[in-house]
Amino acid sequence: MIIPLLKVTNLSKSYDNIVGCKNISMSLYPGEVLGIVGESGSGKTTLINCLSGNLEPDRGKIIFNINNKKTDFLNISESEKRKFIRTDLAFVHQNPRDGLRLNVSAGGNIGEKLMSVGYRHYGNIRSLATKWINKVEIDKSRIDDLPITFSGGMLQRLQIAKNLITSPNVIFMDEPTGGLDVSVQARVLDLIRSLVNELNLTVIIVSHDLAVIRLLADKMIVMKNGTVIESGLSDQVLEDPQQEYTQLLVSSVLHV
Amino acid sequence: MIEVKKVNKSFTLFNQNNAKITVFKNLNFEVNPGEIVALKGPSGIGKSSILKMIYGSYIIDKGAIIINNKNIATLSAQEILKLRKTSIGYVSQFLKVIPRISALDVIMEPLLNSGDNKNNAYKKSIKLLKDLNIEKNLWHLSPLTFSGGEQQRINIARGFIKDLPYLLLDEPTASLDSRNRDIIINLIKAKSNRGVSIIGIFHDEYSRKKLNVREIDLNIETKH
Repeated sequence: MIIPLLKVTNLSKSYDNIVGCKNISMSLYPGEVLGIVGESGSGKTTLINCLSGNLEPDRGKIIFNINNKKTDFLNISESEKRKFIRTDLAFVHQNPRDGLRLNVSAGGNIGEKLMSVGYRHYGNIRSLATKWINKVEIDKSRIDDLPITFSGGMLQRLQIAKNLITSPNVIFMDEPTGGLDVSVQARVLDLIRSLVNELNLTVIIVSHDLAVIRLLADKMIVMKNGTVIESGLSDQVLEDPQQEYTQLLVSSVLHV
Repeated sequence: MIEVKKVNKSFTLFNQNNAKITVFKNLNFEVNPGEIVALKGPSGIGKSSILKMIYGSYIIDKGAIIINNKNIATLSAQEILKLRKTSIGYVSQFLKVIPRISALDVIMEPLLNSGDNKNNAYKKSIKLLKDLNIEKNLWHLSPLTFSGGEQQRINIARGFIKDLPYLLLDEPTASLDSRNRDIIINLIKAKSNRGVSIIGIFHDEYSRKKLNVREIDLNIETKH
């Protein structure tokens, strides 16, 4: 019997009288990619912000179980929580500018992240940073350049490198290909997919693009008005949707 | 062995006046190890649906589908994922890949995902590419630019690369010329000789005959 890496029970969050997300329960197992879909305002971002520690939910439980160590995420001290977020979680923003410091070199951005989890030796930091710059297909001659000189796709790949370099246990991605050109999207998607396979990453990815979910996610949940209306294997939910709204969503996709 | 027991399947189309389409009522059949079963019937009768129900892509309304003593209908998502990885190969009608990934990588991926080492996966994939008569200068290119027949063979290679006890084949010999069709038929036979349970949809009489299949006529099976 495998224990879920993340178990969420009856999670709710409101903004005054407005429902953000309501009674969300779900499990995520090691090495799984979970996709969250739904229209704007359906609560996707509220949910991953609660799970990643960016927002404090009103009610519910979030239990992480990492290497046989149980963390009751909503009932630990603020300092323990900060340390947990730093070492075990990662967050890839839709806009890479939100996840990077643009006035610090590409290598510096990555190095900072390493230092935050205890790396001190400059040579080690530099060589690991170079390795990861390379891994996300950025030419290593660009390591000392400022991110402002990078294209959108390069920035996104740099943000991904920065997030993965410390081997986090759960990676949150909020529309990681959302702001990119279609031609660049495929490359970033392909990169994420190969990293997920190679490193056996556990990922929660929010996207309104069903094709992205189909390619990346093993399982998915469909949200509407703050609640989960359907969940299951990605191919099952997309090919045999059981709910009216999911059917509408799937049938609205244009095929070229 | 695959056992399909008293299965009902329907689709409710909420956005089309809640139309309810019944595909199967009380569908029963089984596939023994080493056996090749061919699903037969006109287009639209539900041949692909059966493969998807067995693979867990379609939810069944009633009944059971037993594989490895497990009922697909009652397994959780992660249990189905695990069963697929360890036991069920599925060759869809069309290859679905993302741009930029080479044919070789597409074929190696299922092995690498199950923890096989790169060298081993590489050797196995190269052998299969050669067996399938795919020209060497295509191996490192994305299959998206390939012809229909070449794509289909890459798709088959991806589905055949692992040694799995169950295989679901959706028109594996469509869009192939006669020489390549014979190559695929021989690969399917080899799987069957090793005890794999195979369910397929074969559009041509020739393939069905060569493979010595047991036919399941859905026109008869689904007469309510």
